[in-house]
Amino acid sequence: MEPTRSSGAGSGNSGTYTPEIAESLRFEEEIQSLMHPSLEPPPASDGGSSFTALLGLPANQAVELLHEPESDDSLAVAAAKASGREMWRFRLRDPKALTLPSGCSPTFPSNAALVERAARLSVFAAEDSPEAASVPSHSGDRSPKPKAEPADSDSQPICPIPGERPQRLAKRKEADKGNKVKGPAKKTKSAEEGSAKGAEENTSGEKLPYVHVRARRGQATDSHSLAERARREKINARMKLLQELVPGCSKISGTALVLDEIINHVQSLQRQVEVLSMRLAAVNPRIDFSGLDSFLSAECGRVTVGNGRGGGGMEQSAWMEATVVNGGRRQPQQQQQQQQIWHVDLVHPHPTPPVWERVDSPHLIINPGTSLFGYDPSNSVVSLHSNQLKTEL
Amino acid sequence: MGNEDDNRSLSFINTPTPTNAGFLERGRRIKMAAEMGLVESSRGRHWSRALRSRLLPRKGNSACGCKEEGTTPSKVAEDLVGEDGDDEVMEIERRLRALQKLVPGGEDLAMDQLFEETADYIEALQGQVNVMRALASLLDGLEKEKRLMRG
Repeated sequence: MEPTRSSGAGSGNSGTYTPEIAESLRFEEEIQSLMHPSLEPPPASDGGSSFTALLGLPANQAVELLHEPESDDSLAVAAAKASGREMWRFRLRDPKALTLPSGCSPTFPSNAALVERAARLSVFAAEDSPEAASVPSHSGDRSPKPKAEPADSDSQPICPIPGERPQRLAKRKEADKGNKVKGPAKKTKSAEEGSAKGAEENTSGEKLPYVHVRARRGQATDSHSLAERARREKINARMKLLQELVPGCSKISGTALVLDEIINHVQSLQRQVEVLSMRLAAVNPRIDFSGLDSFLSAECGRVTVGNGRGGGGMEQSAWMEATVVNGGRRQPQQQQQQQQIWHVDLVHPHPTPPVWERVDSPHLIINPGTSLFGYDPSNSVVSLHSNQLKTEL
Repeated sequence: MGNEDDNRSLSFINTPTPTNAGFLERGRRIKMAAEMGLVESSRGRHWSRALRSRLLPRKGNSACGCKEEGTTPSKVAEDLVGEDGDDEVMEIERRLRALQKLVPGGEDLAMDQLFEETADYIEALQGQVNVMRALASLLDGLEKEKRLMRG
């Protein structure tokens, strides 16, 4: 469930999610750096992205920095922080000793809910089976929360939540204490300090998404590889999407070859646009778009707002035809009877098959009642239908 | 709405050029119009914005909020593909760079965003090609019919 969710989150929300996910993953990396005995000196924090920088700063400044990034999930920030603390507990089995400088005690604006989320994150990250065994006992009361909390945090700041959670937090912390080897006292103390502070903090407007990444069995679970794996999954998902787009790409295996195919496809499409534009230039009608201005002002909004591609297709053709105008658009009078003049009234597509009615022999006039792209003369091969275009596109 | 934009984007095409402007010149204008059609069809996209600023002569582009001002070329694939042997990674990076050059505005993008923009760009291109092909055959058919009518 979790891996798909994370990758789903990545590929589902295409544009907006990316920087946020990147940031949350950055937090994981920063958490990783916490593991090591030497805390690097806080570099000049760039937009609050440096977790260790936050640690080095006094609590107030850290809170300021935490407020900077915009995030939907205000809990995620402190949750990430708190998760670092939680993960220390798991990591204490490692040979490397964790020395947390007391001066940098993480007093973050986390509250009970955040610590719980942190625990959940660390649960997902936990590799050792005893940990995994102990944790599922708590997962029961935590599992509804992954669904509930994103909904919570999306709409509300942290402040209202502390009221609900402290009891559950207390329960979980006690149970966890039983499992931990070293240094629980330090953790819970700081966590409680944090929760006390959390009540006061108002992380308004903080938006950070929270990517749940579950470590698979037998895989490394340090935050670096977690972040990497999440990113890799996201990239693989995108790559699969591209493979589906490019015809004949699904059979090919191997990133380089697939990329080759994609590049070839893009190049061929661009070349086709060029060839077709030359072909259109070779056609020699004169199109008068006296009706085009009104059409654009009336229909453009509707067309663009509606179907993205199909409406765009209509617009594209509008631009396309405008190019063939040769200046006729701005000239109201209709000259050159030798040449064809088309009055195109581009109306919103009509469901019935449209008909271009010819009135004068040199002129081809389309009535307003009909829609564009409906051309069905007796010997014409082309029957363009706007709906047809939509489905094609 | 984007009406002013639309009119502006069209207006540069319509500098009056009679039919004797030359086949090549007309072809170039048509191609520019086609690319504007691409731009307008997928407005919010990064590649759309980049293509638009390439097409329209604008003064003072500093005001537009470019997200990343030119990712250094090495930044694209590095941190993600560190696992393979170096040769493969270089191969992939080479292709990624080629893709970056193809997709408008691709130089700023890292791998995941690049793929996303590429997918959208491919869709838009395909749509544009369809429209142009349909239009071309339409016009051809009409011309043929006109010729038949005359004769």
